[in-house]
Amino acid sequence: MLQATNISYAHRRFTILEGINVEVNHGELLVIVGPNGAGKSTLLSVLANEMGKGSEPIIFKKKTFKDWDERELAHNKAKFSQSNSPDIPLSVKDVVMMGRYPYFNATPHQTDIDAVQAAMEETDVAPLAGREYNSLSGGEKQRVHLARVLAQLDNDVDNKLVFLDEPLNNLDVLHQHRILHTIKKFTQRGNTAVMVLHDLNLAAQFADTVMLLKKGRIVAHDVPGEVFTRETISQVYNFPCTICANPVNQNPLIIFGT
Amino acid sequence: MQNKLFLYLLLSFALLAGLAVWSLYSGVFVFEKHSFLEIFSGIWTNDGSIDASERFVLMDLRLPRIAMGILIGSALAVSGTCLQGMFRNPLATPDLLGITAGASLFAAVTIVLGSYIKPYIPEALHYSLLSVMAFAGALITMILVYRISTQGGRTNIVMMLLSGVAITAIGFAVMGLLIYFAKDDELRDLTFWNLGSLAGATWIKCAILALVVLVAYSMLIKKGKALNAMMLGERDAQHLGIPVERIKKQIVVLTALMVGTSVAFAGTISFVGLIVPYILRLIFKSNYHIILPLAAVWGAILMLSADTISRTVAAPGELPIGVLTAFMGAPIFMMILIRNRKQM
Repeated sequence: MLQATNISYAHRRFTILEGINVEVNHGELLVIVGPNGAGKSTLLSVLANEMGKGSEPIIFKKKTFKDWDERELAHNKAKFSQSNSPDIPLSVKDVVMMGRYPYFNATPHQTDIDAVQAAMEETDVAPLAGREYNSLSGGEKQRVHLARVLAQLDNDVDNKLVFLDEPLNNLDVLHQHRILHTIKKFTQRGNTAVMVLHDLNLAAQFADTVMLLKKGRIVAHDVPGEVFTRETISQVYNFPCTICANPVNQNPLIIFGT
Repeated sequence: MQNKLFLYLLLSFALLAGLAVWSLYSGVFVFEKHSFLEIFSGIWTNDGSIDASERFVLMDLRLPRIAMGILIGSALAVSGTCLQGMFRNPLATPDLLGITAGASLFAAVTIVLGSYIKPYIPEALHYSLLSVMAFAGALITMILVYRISTQGGRTNIVMMLLSGVAITAIGFAVMGLLIYFAKDDELRDLTFWNLGSLAGATWIKCAILALVVLVAYSMLIKKGKALNAMMLGERDAQHLGIPVERIKKQIVVLTALMVGTSVAFAGTISFVGLIVPYILRLIFKSNYHIILPLAAVWGAILMLSADTISRTVAAPGELPIGVLTAFMGAPIFMMILIRNRKQM
């Protein structure tokens, strides 16, 4: 579905990513983890075609991004960015409606209005629909943009792709889990998600595969049970940890500082 | 929302039409007791019911002036709105960015140096030479300001305004030099540029302006959605299928064209691109999908009222229109500054 070989990226003379190969399949939820400065967000940017001309082309559904029609591509892939614009003098509803811009020319259709409503309910911002975006708290803004991304991919296309850069920042526990469940449901319908997360336990619980990065290189890329081992994690994060089976669902449970 | 936009546009057009009729009848010269219809049918059939002086005032003074006011007001307001969308800041207007100064600088140079070749070329080309030069000035300034103030898709507002100040300063310096060297009749032309006036309106100028506005609007007016999406940031707009780079290029070239032509024909009439979007934003928030088409009509309304007032309030003299727009615009400029104090 999404293939990239030998990705390298440097800012000035500073290497950020080096020789990374990624392949993500239909229905896969890939979580990228790693310490600060590992290049997680940069890798996501490169994969999402934000960097312009890269060293090697990225193949999405058997075509390079350049060969895609812009609008068609927007129906197939979306990205949630980490740095959201703080100043958008519009109502919440209007911001979420932006996700439907690839679907109408001048007037939103009923399907667009419905998609916006459904997306807002999914991320629990429907009660804020009429509020001024600028008056929201950080976590609420975050959920508005998540709703926008969900609305963008609300269509009949098969095998869609979503990139999420730390979507859980600023969210409380309830909303963290709600969002992850939403994304899990999304991938269970044959779609693909690539997500950067900081919380290793959430990654262990929800990810199909985990990619562990350090200093721009892949340390491990496998199912959570294989990646989350005591040696690897304590070495990569340079911090002692214990890993045991989660008593509820048997996923790896990482306890740091022990 | 869309139906509402249509309604607002309709009402605004009606207001503009009413204003145009009012403007036609106001002024030093008073028409004889003819109704609107009688005057026009008289001129159309040429049956002698309208005398030559009335005909001249109507067809060669007031009508072209009204048409030019409508076109320039509209062009300046739309330019301001588009630039604000592109720079993502309500202070990005042709005059504050120095684009007007760049255009009038090139126009002034053309007036003074162009006088040597002027006798040898036909009148229509004078205007196009002037507008081409003003367009070049506007385009160069715009690219310069954008390059200085924007890095990686993010605009530094302070840098943006300061580069505008710097370019305006260069404009003043060269203008001073030109005034020093200019001959008498050139001097009159130059003063006219600095103050801004619609008094020089002719049908040829209107035709050129109409063409420019038509071309620009055919591409810009529908960009409201794209400008909205660009509030998210350029990358996120790109993910929504918006061809950001292409749109930015279109905005740069087309606003330079509109501002350049306006400056070439009417001098620097400042603040129109600031006032109109500001007022529309108060009512419709920053939804460019609505305010961009409305700016096209309300720019015309503002300019036409300001011009009609400027030529009637001190009759038989005439107040420079730039003075009026500055009186309205400067307080709004300050208001926006105070509001954005935290972000500066």
